[in-house]
Parts: sequence; C-alpha cells; structure tokens
Amino acid sequence: MFHWLEKHPFFFAVGVFVVIAYAGLIEVLPNFMEKARPIKGLKPYTVLELAGKEVYKKDNCIACHSQLIRPFKAETDRYGQYSMSGEYAYDRPFLWGSKRTGPDLHRVGRYRTPDWHANHMWNPKSVVPDSIMPAYKHQFTNVADLETAYAEAVTVKKVFNTPYGDDIKPGKAAFEKYKKEKILPEALKIAKAMKRDDLVKMVESGKVPEVVALVAYLERLK
Amino acid sequence: MQSNAALEYDYSIVKLFMWTTVIFGIVGMAIGVLIASQLAFPDLNYLMGEYGTFSRLRPLHTNVVIYGFTLSGIWASMYYVGQRVLKVSLLESGFLRFMSKLHFLLYMIVAALMVVTLALGITASKEYAQMEWPLDILVVLTWVVSGIALFGMIGLRREKTLYISMWYYIAFFLAVAMLYLFNNMEVPTYFFSGGLGAWYHSVSMYAGTNDALVQWWWGHNAVAFVFTVPIIAMIYYFLPKESGQAVYSYKLSLLSFWGLMFVYLWAGGHHLIWSTVPDWMQTMGSVFSVVLILPSWGSAINMLLTMKGEWNQLTENPLIKFMILASTFYMLSTLEGPIQSVKSVNAIAHFTDWIIGHVHDGVLGWVAFMVFAAVMHMAPRVFKREIYSKSLLEAQFWIQTIGVVLYFSSMWIAGITQGMMWRAVDEYGNLVYSFIDTVSVLHPYYTIRAFGGLLYLIGVFMFAWNFFKTATAGRRLEQEPRYKSPMA
Amino acid sequence: MSDVAMEIEKYRIYMFLIGTGLAVVIFYYYIIYLYRSEKKGKKNYEKYGRLALDDELDSEILEKNPKSEEKKKGEDK
Ligand code: HEC
Ligand code: HEM
Repeated sequence: MFHWLEKHPFFFAVGVFVVIAYAGLIEVLPNFMEKARPIKGLKPYTVLELAGKEVYKKDNCIACHSQLIRPFKAETDRYGQYSMSGEYAYDRPFLWGSKRTGPDLHRVGRYRTPDWHANHMWNPKSVVPDSIMPAYKHQFTNVADLETAYAEAVTVKKVFNTPYGDDIKPGKAAFEKYKKEKILPEALKIAKAMKRDDLVKMVESGKVPEVVALVAYLERLK
Repeated sequence: MQSNAALEYDYSIVKLFMWTTVIFGIVGMAIGVLIASQLAFPDLNYLMGEYGTFSRLRPLHTNVVIYGFTLSGIWASMYYVGQRVLKVSLLESGFLRFMSKLHFLLYMIVAALMVVTLALGITASKEYAQMEWPLDILVVLTWVVSGIALFGMIGLRREKTLYISMWYYIAFFLAVAMLYLFNNMEVPTYFFSGGLGAWYHSVSMYAGTNDALVQWWWGHNAVAFVFTVPIIAMIYYFLPKESGQAVYSYKLSLLSFWGLMFVYLWAGGHHLIWSTVPDWMQTMGSVFSVVLILPSWGSAINMLLTMKGEWNQLTENPLIKFMILASTFYMLSTLEGPIQSVKSVNAIAHFTDWIIGHVHDGVLGWVAFMVFAAVMHMAPRVFKREIYSKSLLEAQFWIQTIGVVLYFSSMWIAGITQGMMWRAVDEYGNLVYSFIDTVSVLHPYYTIRAFGGLLYLIGVFMFAWNFFKTATAGRRLEQEPRYKSPMA
Repeated sequence: MSDVAMEIEKYRIYMFLIGTGLAVVIFYYYIIYLYRSEKKGKKNYEKYGRLALDDELDSEILEKNPKSEEKKKGEDK
C-alpha cells in the first residue's frame, strides 16, 4: 500500500491533504458552530470607533502593541482585569498582536485621557522622554475614512447580525444623514476633549481627522 | 544519449526566480535593518513621512522577505529540482512552459501590488496575511497556476518514484493553499453597503477568539509550510548533490516527512497560550510542539549524517558550510520553539524580543542560508559559468554567521530581561518597573541587533555581487559539473 | 455551554482520539513495513537516495514511468 502510494502522485497528494487537514477539522472548524458570544452589556463599535480602528490598522499599531491581558497578577496589576473571550465578539479582525514593544492597550481607555493621547500621538517623547514610539503627526491632518467605516457597520449588521440600530442602512443618503446626526457630534466631543483647536475646527468643517477617530477608539478600550 | 540527445533542462524560469530572490533579498533585508535601527534610534522613523514609520515598514519587511525572497528561492528550486529528479524538461511541453512563465508574471504583479498597498497602509491586519481581498484573489490564482506547473511536471515524469524533495514540494503547495483560503475568508464591505467606502475594504468572516484561532492556525503553519517544508525539500536535494553523497537514510527521510505532516498542524495553538482560546487547545499546542522535535531533528540529523566520512568537504567547500550550518540552526530553532511553547516559559517569552530572536535564528540561519546555498549551487549549472569568487562566498559565510549570532544572542538577552522585568515585584507584591523602564533597558541590545543585521545585509550584497558576476563574467563551463560546484 | 456545544465537544474528543490513535498505528506499521521489506530483500528504499545524484536527462532511470513511455512512442510516429 505504502509503496503504491509513493508512486501515484494524485493519491499521494490526497493522502497528504487528509493528514494535514485533520488537525484543522478537529481543532478549528467546530468552533464556528458556536457563535462568539458577547459578554453582557457589550455594545458594537460606533462608526467613529470603527474608523479609529481602521486608523489603528492602517498605521499598524499592532506592530508594537498587544490587546490581550493575560491572567497573571503582574499583568492585571499593570493593565487591569484580564481579557475575556466575550469582549472580542465584535472584533473583525482580532487585534491581539504578538509583540509588546509598547504596553498592552486592551484597557488603555481606563487610565488615559483624550488630551493625554493628543500630546502623546503628536510627540510621544514630550510625554515620555525615553519613548521609542514614533510620532504620528500625519494623523492630525489626514482625514478619517468615515464612509468605509460606515460600510463596515452596514456589512456586519447584515451578514453577522451585529446589533446596530435601524439608522445603519445601505446607501449614500443614509450615510450622509448618519454622519451629520451621529458621527460628527461624537467626533466633536472627542476633539474638544483633546484640547486642540485645529482638530475642533476640522471637525466643525465636517472632516474628522484620523487622530480623533483613533482616540475615540482608544477611549473605547476599557 | 539516446532518443533525447538534444533535449536539455529548461532553466529560463529558474533564472527569473533566481534574480527576484536576489532583488527581494536586498530590499527586504534593507528594510529589516532600517526597522531594527528605528527601535534603537527612533528619529529614523521620519525619513519618509507617514510611509517611513516602524509600524508601516514592519509588514513590508515580513512580507517582502517571506513572499518575495523566500518564495522566489523556493520556486526557483522547485522548477530546477523538479525537472531534474523527475527527469523531465519543461521544453517537452509548451503548455507547462507557458504556465511557468504565467506563474512568474502573476507573481510579479502580486508582489508589486503588495508592496504598494502595504506602504499605503491598506491591510487586513492579520500577520502574514495582510493583503486585502482583491490581492488575495490574485494570490490564489498565482498559486493555482504554480500548482498546475508542479503537477504538470509530475505528470510527465520519466522516473516513476517521486524523490523525497518532491513530497515536500507537494505538501508545501497543498497546505499553503488550504490555510490561505481559510484564513482569508473576508466579506467585502463595498458590496453589502450599497457601494459605500473603499471597494477593497473587507471584514474578517471570523470574530475575536475564533479569528485568532484561524489566524494562528495559519500563521504558525505559514512558518511550517513556507519556512520549513520547502526548505527541507531543498536541502534534501542540494546537500546530497553538492557533496556527492546520497542522503544518509532514505527511510528516515520518509518517516520524518509523515511525522512532520501530522504533528505540525497541531502546534499552532502555541501562539495562543494564556489567551482566551479554550484551555485544551493551548495544552495541545504545547504538547505537540514538544513532539515536533522528533520529526524536525529526524530531518536535520539525517542531513548531518549525510556528510559522514566526508567532513573534509566542510572546510573545502563554502556551499557545504552554508548547508551544514543551516541544518544546525534548524536544530537550534526547532529545539528553541518547543521550549518557548512550554506554558511556564511562554508566560515569560511571549510578546518579548525572545520570540523575535527565535524567528530570526530560524530564518537567517536556516532559511536564508539554505536559499543562498541553493542559488549558488544552481548558478553554475543554469548560467553554464563558474562561480565568480570562492573567497567572496567564504567571506559572506563568516560575516553572516557573525551577524546571526549577534542578532539572536542580543534578542535572547533582551527578551528574557524584558519578560523578567514585566513581572518583577518587590517584597510587598508591587510592580518594580514602570513600562518605560523595560523599554530603555533594551537600547543596547537593539543597537547590537541592528549592527548584526547590518553585517548580515552586507553579506547579502556580497552574495548579490557574486551572483551577478557569476551570471555575466564567470569563466564559461564546457560541461555541467556533476557534484561540487566549480568556483574561482 | 449549550447542549449543542457539549455534543460537539464530545465528538471532537472521540474524533481526536480515534484519528490520532489510527495515525500512530499506521505510522508504526509503516516503520515496520519499511524495515522489514528491506530485510526480506523485497524492496530497497535506499536506492532512491540516488535520485538526487543521477539526475541528468540521460541518467539511468530507476523505474520507468510507463505513462511517459506511451507518450514518447506516440510522438515518435
Ligand atoms: C515602535 C513601536 C510602537 C508603535 C509602532 C506604536 N507604539 Fe505606542 N507605544 C510604544 C512604546 C514604547 C510606548 C511606551 C512609551 C510611551 O508611552 O510612549 C507606547 C505607548 C503607547 C500608549 C500609552 C499606553 C500607556 O499605557 O501608557 C498609547 C495609547 C499608544 N502607545 C498608542 C499607540 C498607537 C495608537 C499607535 C499606532 C498609531 C502606536 N502606539 C504605535 C511603542 C509603539
Ligand atoms: C538583515 C536581516 C534582518 C533584519 C535586520 C531583520 C529585522 C527585523 C526586525 C527589526 C523585526 C521586527 C521585530 C520587532 O517587532 O521587534 C523583524 C521581524 C520579522 N522578520 Fe526580520 N530581519 C531580517 C531578516 C529577515 C529574514 C531573512 C526573514 C525571513 C525570511 C525575516 C522574517 C521576519 C519575520 C517573520 C518577522 C516577524 C516576527 C514576529 O512577528 O514574531 N527577517 N525583522
């Protein structure tokens, strides 16, 4: 049997495939039968927060920051309550990261404020002199892509039944309305809390700077 | 020479992939040295505006060295070794020749788009699977074409039995295909929102913990099936061929193959120890990681024993040096990995630079060394010229070996220091160090690492120069060398 | 945990034990097969190691692939 397999590439390939697929079949597939269950009281990301998550992805903060507090005393003392599976139920993709060049951020919203972030993102060294984190000044002028974030909310609502309100619906008009009524006011609050006039002015003119969305997202991590 | 007197192996496709190996090698590792320097000297973040920060460049580094440098080397060798051990020439089939060229063309398109999109920050944000869905589709297309070329060659073969290297190439093809498809299941947002936002944007099919599970099932096995399996395919061919010694035990090579195939896929859980995935999976990840030592060392020891009675070649032939050191580093990192997978060790090692050290003793010492050796072995046969300079090759070997040692030793110390400092408590149980203390302390190690990386990069330039001169100015060879590669 | 999840979990464990057990048995059988068939002189696996060394188009072929021969004949005509 073995010898035969070694000379018949097609069946050999099938054999190899069975062997390598086996682990996935047992280990990974069954998990999808069970939907990820959000912990009680967990709300989906607001559109502004989603836009901030996009900035987090775009500037790839995950290269240096994790979002996973492990269940050790040293970690819970430093970062707060350890992370639980249900907290990530709306994270597509997950952003746990694999390297902590900087501290964990899973609960950073508990102990940092918008104006602290404003100074820190503009120039980390001005806040923490020894920091090796890059300054992200371009986020103060780049405009966040709210439309894509809104599209994401519509999509996850439709495809995965993420509990968004009825005002999240497809189409340009719906987006414009939602932006004016929900996103901009939320952004303005953040911008004011960041204590920078340039940011407030931009939001008032209808453009949300990337950093405002980002801070909305960071504030949400609690 | 009977019926096929005029027939030769067709190396045109091999040449193309060899050139891209060299080019991606330079680009990817130059970025590596840059980002390594940024961690030591953060001011280097501002050389190219928003495109030059560490965080944008890091995925460029990983993707270019993995999917550029390593894959090019693998495919060059796949077309080279494939033709030879199957005793079939691509010249015999116009269709396969076309497929191989199409494969290269698609690959170049994907690579170019990948570099541009990652620089712009368009990313799905999953490690080693950053590309967005339109690129994923191109990747799948490229993969299918490469598979047609691979199985096409196998279909035409004269030699009925597949040499062990071919087993590994087949496994490489199948496993990456399966894992990539599952991990990149995404929902494009544009089509579900009535045409809103960026058309290339998508959300993952999986959320949170599930997403992590699929990602590391993929992530771990990307390491397995790009950095291990096809590299083993290469060493099983190139070491015996260069040394003129058949592999020490063919049976052992078969057994290691099946062992590796079965065990590797289970080990992905070791990336998620102490996370929120179910406990039994974490345990499984730990246990199977330790079992993994057996098939890994099976291959590595087999390679070392192949040199039995011929160890003098190690001093005489730099290519043998590269390959033996590669096997040795393979043993080192396949021992180190399981150690890091033990739960208590992982508690310290995870998230630290020790992992980075582990990655790079594997890729610099094992993967890249094997790729250099393979390319230099193929060069005289492909270009029908002698290798341009033996002494340059020797110098490259030594400078890169020093580079690797500096890299991993500094990262081991950095990682363990950092891991210990994060958890250090005083007599009252309070944390001793603030986070920034654990960053400042790493500065010397980051500097050493950047220097080690620079040495390694210099080695890559030597390699590139040597390769270029071999291709254009090496002494012409009358006849294809049988075993040892001729070098001046 | 819901009932469905418990059920899945149970089957998962059975599948794992059976699959892994089977794999181990087959694997050991394979080892025995390899060494025994060689001892009895039925097979010589080590000769395949030469495939990497004698890899010219005109090197001697260990075991001809009949399919490739058919094709060659077809072309000769
Ligand atoms: C080169 C690695 C690196 C990158 C990339 C990076 N950071 Fe940091 N980050 C650090 C370091 C180191 C610290 C600790 C020193 C400090 O506070 O500046 C830190 C600290 C922080 C803190 C403060 C956390 C705390 O508990 O004090 C926040 C918030 C933060 N980073 C957000 C971000 C965001 C958002 C991004 C992406 C735009 C980012 N970082 C990218 C390295 C990095
Ligand atoms: C000149 C040689 C190289 C240098 C200086 C270098 C440097 C670096 C640096 C600085 C990082 C980021 C580490 C961190 O986040 O702290 C990194 C990550 C990485 N590099 Fe390299 N690199 C080099 C070569 C390579 C090669 C040849 C490969 C593969 C073929 C490779 C694969 C990777 C991978 C996979 C990661 C991600 C590791 C992880 O996330 O755990 N590198 N490299």
